[in-house]
Amino acid sequence: MSAPVSRSTFARNTLVAMTAIGAAGAVAVYMNEGPARFWANWLVWTLMLLTLGLGNLFLVALERLVGAHWSVPMRRVPERIAALIPLAIVLLLIGYLSLPVLFPWTRPEAAHNPILVAKAPWLNTTFFAIRLVACAVLWLLFYFFYVRGSLRQDASKDPAFTVKARRLAPPFMVTFFFTLTIVAFDWISSLEPEWYSDMFGVYLFAGTFLSGIAAMAIGVLALLRQGRLRDVGSQHYYNLGTLGLAFTVFYAYIGFAQYMLIWYADLPEEIVWFKHRLEGGWQSVALLLPIFHFAIPFFLLLGGSPKKRPWVLRIAALSILFGHFVDIYWLIIPTISPTPLLGWPELVMACLFVGLGFLQIRRAMNRGADMPIGDPLLVKGLEWQL
Amino acid sequence: MKPATAPVPDVATSMPEGLKPFVLLEGAVTPASLDDQVLKFPAQRPPRAWYVAIAFTLSLLAIGLVSIGYTLYYGIGMWGNNRPVAWGFGIINFVFWVGIGHAGTLISAILFLFRARWRNAIARFSEAMTIFAVMCAAIFPVLHTGRPWFGYWLFPYPNERALWVNFRSPLVWDVFAVSTYFSVSLMFWYLGLVPDFASLRDRTEEGWRKRIYTVLSLGWRGATSHWLHYDKAYLLLAGLATGLVISVHSVVSFDFAVSLVPGWHMTIFPPYFVAGAIFAGFAMVVMALVVVRKTMNLSNLITDDHLDVMNRLILAMSCIMGYAYFMEGGTAWYSANPYIQHTFKNYVTGFYGWAGITTITCNIIIPQLFWFRRVRRSIPAMIFIAVAVTLGMWMERFVIIIISLHQDYLPSSWHNYIPTKIDFGVLVGSFGLFFTLVLLFARVMPVIATSEMKASLPGAQAHHGGTTL
Amino acid sequence: MTSAPFAVLGLYSKAEKIIDAATKIRQRKLGHLEAYTPYPVHGLDHAIGLGPSKLGKLVMVMGLLGTGLALLFEGWTSAVDYPVITGGKPLFSWQAFVPVMFEVTVLFATFTAGLAMLFLFNKLPFFGHPVLHSKAIKDITRDKLALSIEQSGAALDIEAARNALLENGAETVEVVELPAWPRLTLVSLLRSMAAIVAACVVAGVGIYSIQKLLPVVLPMVHMHDQPKLNAFRSSTFFADGRGMQPAVAGTVARGHLPPAFSKPEEAGQILANPVALTKQVADRGHKVFNDHCAVCHGTVGDGVALLSRAYGAKPGNFMTAEMQKQPDGYIYGVLMLGKNAMPSYAADLDESDRWAVVHYIRILQRSQNAKDEDLK
Repeated sequence: MSAPVSRSTFARNTLVAMTAIGAAGAVAVYMNEGPARFWANWLVWTLMLLTLGLGNLFLVALERLVGAHWSVPMRRVPERIAALIPLAIVLLLIGYLSLPVLFPWTRPEAAHNPILVAKAPWLNTTFFAIRLVACAVLWLLFYFFYVRGSLRQDASKDPAFTVKARRLAPPFMVTFFFTLTIVAFDWISSLEPEWYSDMFGVYLFAGTFLSGIAAMAIGVLALLRQGRLRDVGSQHYYNLGTLGLAFTVFYAYIGFAQYMLIWYADLPEEIVWFKHRLEGGWQSVALLLPIFHFAIPFFLLLGGSPKKRPWVLRIAALSILFGHFVDIYWLIIPTISPTPLLGWPELVMACLFVGLGFLQIRRAMNRGADMPIGDPLLVKGLEWQL
Repeated sequence: MKPATAPVPDVATSMPEGLKPFVLLEGAVTPASLDDQVLKFPAQRPPRAWYVAIAFTLSLLAIGLVSIGYTLYYGIGMWGNNRPVAWGFGIINFVFWVGIGHAGTLISAILFLFRARWRNAIARFSEAMTIFAVMCAAIFPVLHTGRPWFGYWLFPYPNERALWVNFRSPLVWDVFAVSTYFSVSLMFWYLGLVPDFASLRDRTEEGWRKRIYTVLSLGWRGATSHWLHYDKAYLLLAGLATGLVISVHSVVSFDFAVSLVPGWHMTIFPPYFVAGAIFAGFAMVVMALVVVRKTMNLSNLITDDHLDVMNRLILAMSCIMGYAYFMEGGTAWYSANPYIQHTFKNYVTGFYGWAGITTITCNIIIPQLFWFRRVRRSIPAMIFIAVAVTLGMWMERFVIIIISLHQDYLPSSWHNYIPTKIDFGVLVGSFGLFFTLVLLFARVMPVIATSEMKASLPGAQAHHGGTTL
Repeated sequence: MTSAPFAVLGLYSKAEKIIDAATKIRQRKLGHLEAYTPYPVHGLDHAIGLGPSKLGKLVMVMGLLGTGLALLFEGWTSAVDYPVITGGKPLFSWQAFVPVMFEVTVLFATFTAGLAMLFLFNKLPFFGHPVLHSKAIKDITRDKLALSIEQSGAALDIEAARNALLENGAETVEVVELPAWPRLTLVSLLRSMAAIVAACVVAGVGIYSIQKLLPVVLPMVHMHDQPKLNAFRSSTFFADGRGMQPAVAGTVARGHLPPAFSKPEEAGQILANPVALTKQVADRGHKVFNDHCAVCHGTVGDGVALLSRAYGAKPGNFMTAEMQKQPDGYIYGVLMLGKNAMPSYAADLDESDRWAVVHYIRILQRSQNAKDEDLK
């Protein structure tokens, strides 16, 4: 370890302190500001951590699916960030308690609303719980398979795992898409249950994949700065910049398409969702999205060659992650407040979850070698040239 | 835990069966042998099979021209369009052909950006197919206006009517999108051909042929200072064409999705249409390539592994289409909107229910056979599946357009749509046009981009340029 | 026509060798270094001393220019020059403008990329380059990589160049000479310009003629002469051959129900003025009266006017005591039925105008026969 011991302990202590303050503050939020604000922030951060974890697991499986070589030397980074998944699952299961607070279809008045009655076969607490548990189980199974399997391969050097990993990639993709769609519909879209948009699963996927790439890029660059990942060069993470550019454009395309189609037809049951998010001060928050989730990363990754200047990739990735957080915040908080909420409750809840998230990643960072040294494709990956 | 530093000493170096790289070239291929193998075709007479084939496609084209003649002379009344199904075969065929074109751009542009080497042997042919498909597509919106000789009214120019086009209408967005797509694809294709025309120029003896190649090659001499800018232009064009592929078929989907017709106003339409386009286009590319590599003896350049990879992409697209169909049906139920639910029931039951069943079978169920490696590498199987996909994707546009329109909000307006012989005639003619152009292209121009392929042959570069596959 | 040497070409088969040779020869400064290859060789551009291409920046600028122009054009046509509300959308609907903005951006960017690369950066098409007329060109576009030491300013030292190439692994060497350039004379320039102008004229006239001619030939002209009913034309559909048939007997146009009375006195008994008197109604009555009635009844309604003097007719005088006593309905009845020489004005005035006139006549009467209380 090239980093001095005192620095890492300092970091760890800061994170623990942050988490403790956050936890205490969270209780205060619940008591003073009410359960709605507490649970809404809980949901926002849980989904942030979940999408970051799932996005990185997706990157791991995607590499297997297409047989890419360039990403193999860096693959340990997303495998470690995927450790957010078990943490997020726990938080999500606790989040089940928020159902009566945040979700109108759980309340007794829903029985008088004919639209919610019609949706009741899907939107009822039992089926919701079954879906939640099923998703959690599937995610954990794939997480342990891919990540633990890769760590075990470090020692065993058995190429059979790589073959198995490739074979399981398509079922993972199918599972991933359906479970992520369920998250989008269950946890975000059903906050306003009369609204519907069949693109919504794709929308969440775009943000998830993009922030997965961003987190991976930051992880790779951070390790390189520390002197680890010595043989990984700019030709390896150049493709992260290209993928980042492509999916920045993809996210903007999906987001714009969904908005423009609903704006154009102006149907009452659809436009109301956007009304809540573009009025009363929310339009300023919405404006942050095209700036941080599109324009800044787009122009940075288009022009500045990340090969020569890794700081370009780093800033673009940070902008994307900030934009992703704003996105989830903008999707959820308008259901409890007609104006944007930004105060000490948001700050302490952020402390809690950021602390938890970073602590979890730190634990994972010490598992296994920094590169998947058991993978038979590693050599080809290291030799890879543009 | 010790971090790994260079060089990694104890890495597994054996490559198991499931991870062997693709075989993209069979036998010893050098730049010279490549030229001889591919560039000999424009210089020699084609085999008899080519004449038979083009006679057949020309007869299909003739049927089309007669049908178009009827349409121009007697008007759109010769088609089956009527109230409430005001858009019939005309728009189905337009969306179908524009979709076919997208696979070509995906192969030549998107796969170029991903540095997928397997695209080199098939890129030129696919780009040509894109241009021909867009040409076939363009016939339909022009004809369906009723007075196609005023087709130029679609473009915004200062005119004596003091009118501008309605920029708020997706039909105008279509005009811009398709014309941009056509001109960009044409330029991309032509620029790729310039070095090959130079090769042809230098292989041909003096004569009118050499003069044509000289002009078409623009005096290209392979100067490194030229390649520098050429490569940059090619990269930029690939990136821009990628954006075009996504946007063009999204704009086509906006024609439907911005409306209020039940079953059309679904937000997933843009990526759903793009995936469907790539899906149908790949099937057409596979069909054409299977024939080309056999008849032109190019199986050592377009290998079984090329076909295997393309079939995997067809499978992936089929799964994406499955997701889209599931989301559409699921959201139709979730919406609790009786009009949408009625339309979706009509997709699989009722007068046109057979069309929906055909669509699902051909698009989702049959391509699942491609999970099996044997099926992916069997020529008869892949032809069968490619034909099924082509049929299924045409049916899908039929389902979306006809079924949604024939029974929407007002029961007193419900009426079935029956296509006429002229409708079928124009459709058949469009296939005739497409395949005639493909045959002419194969006769006259290099079907493989020799200069691109030469750059990736083993030994062509100073150090091994690694890529995926 | 002296043929001066232009370049010395050295042919190679292997990429490593030519890059190596280029790197070494570049230091010796024997002339301008160029290479000719059938495919782009990675690293060769760097070896002969080329920097990166600036095409990307130009393309981005032109692309963004396209975005801006598209937005301005769409905005101007939709919101300023020809504003039409379609679908209830705002005139400047930026959401609807985005797709075309995107397409125009791509259009500008791609045409810049292609055309700037060819014309601006590579100066193609150009058919007179000496290498095109060399023996080696056949190999260059086939499979050989050629390193070229070309003249730059000072005359080329052929021997030194040839030795340098052979020392560094060239398989064969060729000296390429400058061909005799066709001289650019005034005549040739004028001929080219004339050809271009002629082509433009032909194209323009052709397009214009087609555009003007096409709509008036078969089958386009079918639209001009449609088998449908046109106003004032005969029709084979109806027995009497008339296109415009008279209305069926008993048809009543809206607002023109036949009056429920046959004499103005009856109207006086059954009708009351339903229109409330406001300034607007009074002004309207004023206008209508002056337009329709004053010509006979006079502008003050006393029966003295142009026509009465000219034709000796005696139009009613509203100011008589008898007329002032008549109820509103009576005036309305006369208006509707006509009286003596006055025709019915039922068709000329609609319901609200008729009653407005009645109000105005009452105003005129009051104005000429005012009482003291009216002044207070």
